[in-house]
Amino acid sequence: MSPRPVRIVAASLFCPAGIGNMGLGPAVPGAVPGFDPIACGVPRKHLKTMTRAVQLGVAAVAAALAEAPGWQTIPPERRGLFVGASPQSGDAEDLASALKAADGDPGKFARDGVPLIPPLWLVKGLSNNVLGYASAQHDLRGDNGNWCDGALGGAIALAQAVHAVAERRVDLAIAGGADSLVGAEAMVGGPCGEGAAFVVLMAGERGDALATAGLPSEAGIEHDFGEMGAAAVPVAWARAWLARGPVDVGGVSGRRWS
Amino acid sequence: MARATVPDDPRFPDDRKGSLAAAVLDDARGGGRGDDGARIGLFLGTGLSSLTPAELAIDLYPHARAAGFDRDAMARDLARDRASPRRHQPERVTEVLGAQIGAIVRETSFSACSAAAQSILQGARAVARGDVDVAYVGGHDSMLHPIGYLSFVVLGALSPTVGRPFDRHRDGFLIGEGAAVLRLQREGDLRAGDAVLGWIVGGGTSVDAYNVTHPHPEGLGAGLAMARALRDASLEPGDIDYVNAHGTGTPVGDEAECLAVHRVLGDAPVSSFKGAVGHTIAAAGAVELALCLGIFGSGFLPGTPGLEEVDPNLPARILRDPTPGRVRHLLSNSFGFGGQNCALVVAAPDV
Repeated sequence: MSPRPVRIVAASLFCPAGIGNMGLGPAVPGAVPGFDPIACGVPRKHLKTMTRAVQLGVAAVAAALAEAPGWQTIPPERRGLFVGASPQSGDAEDLASALKAADGDPGKFARDGVPLIPPLWLVKGLSNNVLGYASAQHDLRGDNGNWCDGALGGAIALAQAVHAVAERRVDLAIAGGADSLVGAEAMVGGPCGEGAAFVVLMAGERGDALATAGLPSEAGIEHDFGEMGAAAVPVAWARAWLARGPVDVGGVSGRRWS
Repeated sequence: MARATVPDDPRFPDDRKGSLAAAVLDDARGGGRGDDGARIGLFLGTGLSSLTPAELAIDLYPHARAAGFDRDAMARDLARDRASPRRHQPERVTEVLGAQIGAIVRETSFSACSAAAQSILQGARAVARGDVDVAYVGGHDSMLHPIGYLSFVVLGALSPTVGRPFDRHRDGFLIGEGAAVLRLQREGDLRAGDAVLGWIVGGGTSVDAYNVTHPHPEGLGAGLAMARALRDASLEPGDIDYVNAHGTGTPVGDEAECLAVHRVLGDAPVSSFKGAVGHTIAAAGAVELALCLGIFGSGFLPGTPGLEEVDPNLPARILRDPTPGRVRHLLSNSFGFGGQNCALVVAAPDV
């Protein structure tokens, strides 16, 4: 069975230049201005077990779906989610009290330190938390994947989502990436940013051209916003798509990304 | 190939899982002579790995204060030693090993305990599509260190006794470490004399869309993955001769999986390896699938190490002991935090 055309029907964008179409403005490295997770659809009850990157990702999935017409008519089993992420490895801050109590003694760490560690420390650090929380929020039960491949993680997620729609494993795919490296300048050796962007893909109409969407260079996005990790390519892609306007829906070849 | 020990690989300092991955990749390639001229892909699943003792001692402990870490001091240290924060970035192992073998496609699945199975499936699809000619697929993980244990202790998932999947007294799992890599290629590319250990004939993934740490109580997501794998393989439920369960030995996990197996595959016999090898976390799907390849032609279906008394409330047909039988098709399950599920269907070499 030949691959079917894939259509981009919506995109969301959270980047240091702003949110949504506002993100097309002047760019500077740093945080997403005005990001309020609750106002952006992140469930309040889960906030304490989400890192900043996860909050951005969950918000970006919600924003992308909000722009996708009729996505609820597709059965949950046919909705896929594909995410590029970074390893969170828990929040080191949550270990500080335990380490201090241990004073370098493993026995004291076990006896006095462990009880000071929040039970949800590991849960907060799961790198597939965007996928886990967003799938539960929007009832996405279809084909899926989560990749940690540095700045390419989001690009791989986009590519695999295209394959999933083209090969008929899902009829709707939400794909993108999220990351937050603000404050990590010393670790990565340069200005950092944060962001999240997701696109919504659906099967195209018969006869749609198998055109290939342009992929802005990673160098460009990193120059604009600083190091953004797994969010870099999805942010660039969503930005380019939004700049073309919602009417000009691009087709994507399912064969070009591997 | 069996190895008595795995030496530390200098390319992966303080990263045990990296050394494990390097060792099994070398074994799977057998020198790489069969890869001449092939377009190669490397698809590895790996895990959180958490903080290792060295990271704890070098990067964190010196900066611990009662109210939190001294972030400025940490940043200064990290800036002095740029290698330090790179140690545990999961894609680094794929990058280094991918460059070593000339892989043109490199992917690192980070899908919790289904990561390796997802990588195997993605690699198989890439080979089937023709994106690559040869795919090295699998997973690697090691959480056998204090902070690794701690991660699961605080969640209450570790057994204080022994791993005994499906037992009426099961109380969690023991952590293992491991890695396994399989070499995949298309049937039409086989050359005379090439060994075939099995055929990957189907796979399916799903998300529970329920809770990031608890499986759906009725195993809805698990069942979806199995049903998709079966459909992908163009098989009927009765064609599955054996199910290698995720079978961690947690009370809720085993129950959800058995409900799903029974619903999708009826009375297919089920067992779990985790009582023998522990839970190798993100590597589990690869380690257990590699072990499954030994079932073909053995004349036996494996039992469940550690299991003494089968929980009578579990609806699946659970094998406590090895049982004579022939396996033509088996299904292997992997389920992870975040609700990610993956099932793979493998056929015997002579099918």
